[in-house]
Amino acid sequence: MDSSEVEFLAEKETVKIIPNFSLDRIYLIGGDLGPFNPGLPVDVPVWLALNLKQRQKCRIVPPAWMDVEKLEEMRELERKEDTFTPVPSPYYMELTKLLLNYASDNIPKADEIRTLVKDIWDTRIAKLRLSADSFISQLEAHAKLDNLTLMEINTIRAFLLDSLNCMYKLRSNLQPGSSKGQFTDY
Amino acid sequence: MFCEKAIELIRELHRMSDGQLPAFNEDVLRQVLQEMEALYEQNQTDVNEAKAGRAELIPSIKLRHCCLLRNQRCLTAYLYDRLLRIRALRWEYGSVLPANVRFHMCAEEVQWISQYKKSLASFMRSLGGGEGLDITQDMKPPKSLYIEVRCLKDHGEFEIDDGTVILLKKNSQHFLPRWKCEQLIRQGVLEHVMS
Amino acid sequence: MSDALSDAGSDVNQDDAQEDVMTPAELIAKLEEAWLNEKFSPELLENKSEVVECVMEQLSHMDANLQRVKKGDAKASIHRMEIDRIRFVLSSYLRSRLRKIEKFFPHVLEREKSRGEGDPSLLSPEEFAFAKEYYANTETYLKAVALKRMPPNLQTVDMLKAVPEPCLDSFVFLRVKDRQENILVEPETDDQREYVVDLEEGSQHLMRYRTIAPLVSSGAVQLI
Repeated sequence: MDSSEVEFLAEKETVKIIPNFSLDRIYLIGGDLGPFNPGLPVDVPVWLALNLKQRQKCRIVPPAWMDVEKLEEMRELERKEDTFTPVPSPYYMELTKLLLNYASDNIPKADEIRTLVKDIWDTRIAKLRLSADSFISQLEAHAKLDNLTLMEINTIRAFLLDSLNCMYKLRSNLQPGSSKGQFTDY
Repeated sequence: MFCEKAIELIRELHRMSDGQLPAFNEDVLRQVLQEMEALYEQNQTDVNEAKAGRAELIPSIKLRHCCLLRNQRCLTAYLYDRLLRIRALRWEYGSVLPANVRFHMCAEEVQWISQYKKSLASFMRSLGGGEGLDITQDMKPPKSLYIEVRCLKDHGEFEIDDGTVILLKKNSQHFLPRWKCEQLIRQGVLEHVMS
Repeated sequence: MSDALSDAGSDVNQDDAQEDVMTPAELIAKLEEAWLNEKFSPELLENKSEVVECVMEQLSHMDANLQRVKKGDAKASIHRMEIDRIRFVLSSYLRSRLRKIEKFFPHVLEREKSRGEGDPSLLSPEEFAFAKEYYANTETYLKAVALKRMPPNLQTVDMLKAVPEPCLDSFVFLRVKDRQENILVEPETDDQREYVVDLEEGSQHLMRYRTIAPLVSSGAVQLI
C-alpha cells in the first residue's frame, strides 16, 4: 500500500474546526456536515478541515491528545513497556504530520509535539523490527498485533511479507512431492 | 550446447529494469526456432530407428525432447514477459505509447496491445450497468490541498473544480488546488512557488 | 444555496430505502472494506457489482445535481472533493481486481467455469468478458509469433500450468470484526505442533491467508 493511501484514510478522521463563515447543513454521500456558523466549533473530516484552513476559512482545534503533557506520558510508557501501548488515534502519525504541516499556527507548542510524536513512532518502529525479526527466526505461523497502526504495519509490510513468502517457497521445495508447480512462470 | 540461445533471451529481459522494453529480438527468436526444428527432425529419424530395434537411441531422444520443451518454455516466457511490460507501459503513459516503445515492438505485439486497449475500453464503458468509468484516471488519492503557483506563459482561462474561472496570464500568481495544477506544471505553464 | 444540493443526500437515501436498507454512508463503508480486502488478498475475491453500481449511481446523481448549481457555490466545491475521494476508491478497487484478473487469467476463468449452479460469481459480467478476451488475445499472440512456428507436437501451451496460481499461503494482516473461536494455526515446520487461536473482536493478527480466507468472504475479518 502506498503511504499516500494510508494518509488518504487518515483524512477521513474527524477533527473540530472553528469556521469564520456560515453555511447550511451539507448532505454529503458519506454523511451530513454542519451547519457552519462563525465562531461555533463543528466536526468535519480532516480533508475538509485542511482545505478550509488553507483557504483561511477556519481555525483547526487540535485533538485532545495532541498535547505536550499527554504525549510525554505516552512516550515514557512506550519506552517502558515491551509491548505496543495503545495509541490515541489509529492515525496518530499521519494526523500529526498533516495538522502540523498545514495548521501549525493553530497548534500550541507545535515543534515539541512534532518531536514527541516522532520519538513515540521511533520507539514503536524499533519494537516492530525486533518482533518481525523474532517472528521470522522462530518460524512463527501467527502473531497478534494489537495496537499497531496501519502506517506502522505499512512500514514493514512489503519487506516482511516478501521474506516470509520466499522462505516458505524455499522450505516447501525442500520437502519432496510438495511442489505444486507454483513457480512455473512460463 | 542446446537452449543457450533461448536463455540469452531470458537474460536480456532480466537485465532490463521493470519499466523498460528492449527491442524485439526476432533474430535470436528465429535461431531458437531453427534449433527446435533441427532437434525435432533428428528425433523423428531416431524414433523410427528406435522402433526398428535400436533401443540405445532412446536416451538421446529423451534429451532432445527435454531441450525442445525448455526452448518452448523460454520462448513463451520471453514473449509473455514482454506483454506484461507493454501492458504496464499502457497504464503508465496512457493509450498512446511513446514512439521509442512502439519502435521496439513487433507487429504481433502492436496487435496484442491494440486488442488489449479495446478490451479495457469496453470493460470501462460497461461499468456500473453501462454508465462507464475511466479507471485509468484517479491513480493517486486526491489531495484537497492548495499550492502557490506562478504562471510562466499566457495560457488563457482555466476553470477550477468549484466552478471559478481564473485567467492564467504570464507572471501572475495564483493559489490553486494542487491536483488541478500538476499537469500544467509538467507542461511548463505553471511553476510551484516555494514559500 | 440551491435546493438541488440541499436534498441531494436525503433524496437518494429514500430511493434506496425501498430496495435496500443500506444508507449511502454504509454503502461507502462497504466499498472501502472491499477496496482494502481486494488490495491485500492474494487471490481475486467475489465481485461486489451491486456495491459498484450503487456507488456509481450515487456519484452520477450528485454530479447531475452539481450541474444545476451556479458557479462558485461553496457547497459545490465540498461535494466535488467528496466525489473525487469516492471515485478514487472505486477506481482503485476496480484496478486491483483487473490486475489480478490479468495476472491469474486462466485460473480465474477455470474457477468461473467449474462454479456450481447458484454459487456466487467470482467475476462481474464485464470482468468475465474482459478475462475471456484477455485469454483469447494472449493465446492468439503466442500462437502467431512463436507456437505455430514450432514443431507440430509443441504448438500448444497449457495456460493453467504455465501461468502461476495465486499463492494462498501468503501471510496477511487482518483486523477482526466478529469474534471467532478455534481458528487452527498450522505449523511451519515438522517439529512444531498445530494450535488454535481465538480471534477477539477488534484484535489484529498476522497469519496465512489460507487459514482465514472464508472469514474474509463472510466479512468477519478485514484485511489491513
